[in-house]
Amino acid sequence: MRNDGSSDIKNHAVVASKEWLAARTVLLAKEKEFTRLRDELSRQRRELPWEKVEKPYAFDGPNGKQTLAQLFGKRRQLIVYHFMFDPEWDAGCKHCSFWADNFNGIPRHVEHRDAAFVAISRGPYEKLAAYKKRMGWSFNWVSSLHTDFNYDYYVTSTPEEVQKGLGYLNYTMQKPYGPETVGISVFYKDEAGDVFHTYSCYRRGVDMLNAAYHYMDLLPKGRDEADQGPNPQAWVQRHDEYTD
Amino acid sequence: MKKETSNIEKHKVVSHEEWLAARTAFLAKEKDFTRLRDELSRERRELPWEKVEKAYTFDAPNGKETLAALFENRSQLIVYHFMFAPAWDAGCKHCSFWADNFNGLPVHLKHRDAAFVAISRAPLAKLEAFKKRMGWSFKWVSSAPSDFNYDYQASFTPEQSKSGAVFYNYTKAPMDMSDREGVSVFFMDKGGAIFHTYSSYARGIDILNTAYNYLDLAPKGRDEDNLEFSQSWVQYHDQYKD
Repeated sequence: MRNDGSSDIKNHAVVASKEWLAARTVLLAKEKEFTRLRDELSRQRRELPWEKVEKPYAFDGPNGKQTLAQLFGKRRQLIVYHFMFDPEWDAGCKHCSFWADNFNGIPRHVEHRDAAFVAISRGPYEKLAAYKKRMGWSFNWVSSLHTDFNYDYYVTSTPEEVQKGLGYLNYTMQKPYGPETVGISVFYKDEAGDVFHTYSCYRRGVDMLNAAYHYMDLLPKGRDEADQGPNPQAWVQRHDEYTD
Repeated sequence: MKKETSNIEKHKVVSHEEWLAARTAFLAKEKDFTRLRDELSRERRELPWEKVEKAYTFDAPNGKETLAALFENRSQLIVYHFMFAPAWDAGCKHCSFWADNFNGLPVHLKHRDAAFVAISRAPLAKLEAFKKRMGWSFKWVSSAPSDFNYDYQASFTPEQSKSGAVFYNYTKAPMDMSDREGVSVFFMDKGGAIFHTYSSYARGIDILNTAYNYLDLAPKGRDEDNLEFSQSWVQYHDQYKD
């Protein structure tokens, strides 16, 4: 049997329950193997060396100036989402906003695995606060405008790099799309209060942190972005800007 | 002080140049893994479907709704099987953690032709009260009037549990719980026929938890080895004390 030819997906195989279970069980073995591989990759990631953070950074946040060490609160680990928000923009990046809809509910939980969570952008704090309010988010969001933080962690390119069309991005020299790029950085604070940079990932490295995509990966149509043109995420809107 | 903390305090610290070299080498492995993930998703889409022959009715906020109605004019439907037995006064703590992860997603998934719904056996009034307490906005319906949860291995009858071998996550094993977690996916064609395309259970839904995916990037990882059970640290988001 096949499904009817009039739908988007035409003539997909339709089988009896017994055959369905047999095929599904075969894929399950592959999925389990993949899960174990994911665990192993995470283990290897934890073995990467750290580098000491030597520069003092002060961010503008809801409580005035806060140092990088203060962003940890009473936790030993800090997860930073580098949210693209150029000082000139009036709203945060659409795609980072999609990622934020994915992480907004999790800081309370990761705190209880000894990790504070913060979004950091170059936009002035007042703009971040206004946009956060508009979007109904609750995560901590601070501004790095008066620091080198975004440049040091390779999420903002200098005007010269943008003009030249060449900057150090995602661990290689390549063309910047614009001044801002997306990323995640992780820091550790030891008992003495020293802060270490343990990990950063960029671009498709942050794909794992979008559960909407993980759900789409279970769908018959998948992400279905082949017709979106050069930007596969052209369909993404801010959650209050979808028109239907 | 815990042993792990002291070990982590002795972690290798290197210069920026060495840090970048090690990180760049690891990036190649991460990219391989991402491509493997894409390939697995492709294989998943090739799985055959099975036709849904039974008529299911759910108690929804606007009255009775059929499985077809839950698609809300999309051709795909994602069901989160949220553990909430009729006798409980709150949903499962762990499913609530997953819900904190998916609450913001339905508006986006809708624009990839997929409706999203959580389904539980508890009566609708209990689901709505708990949803209000937790401040969630996703659609949540009760399968109380139907066999849905039993047919999709999210609930087990007392007889099944007593038999000592319940079919869950594609295997028969003893089960001491009446309800379990899972995700099921359905497709509706233009003729209105509905097909069950996929279901995943137990650790199969691990990748759908963004918090875990973030913790997998942190120096201490999930840090669950010394706990009574891996998720014993999880609380309802309004019940953490600090």
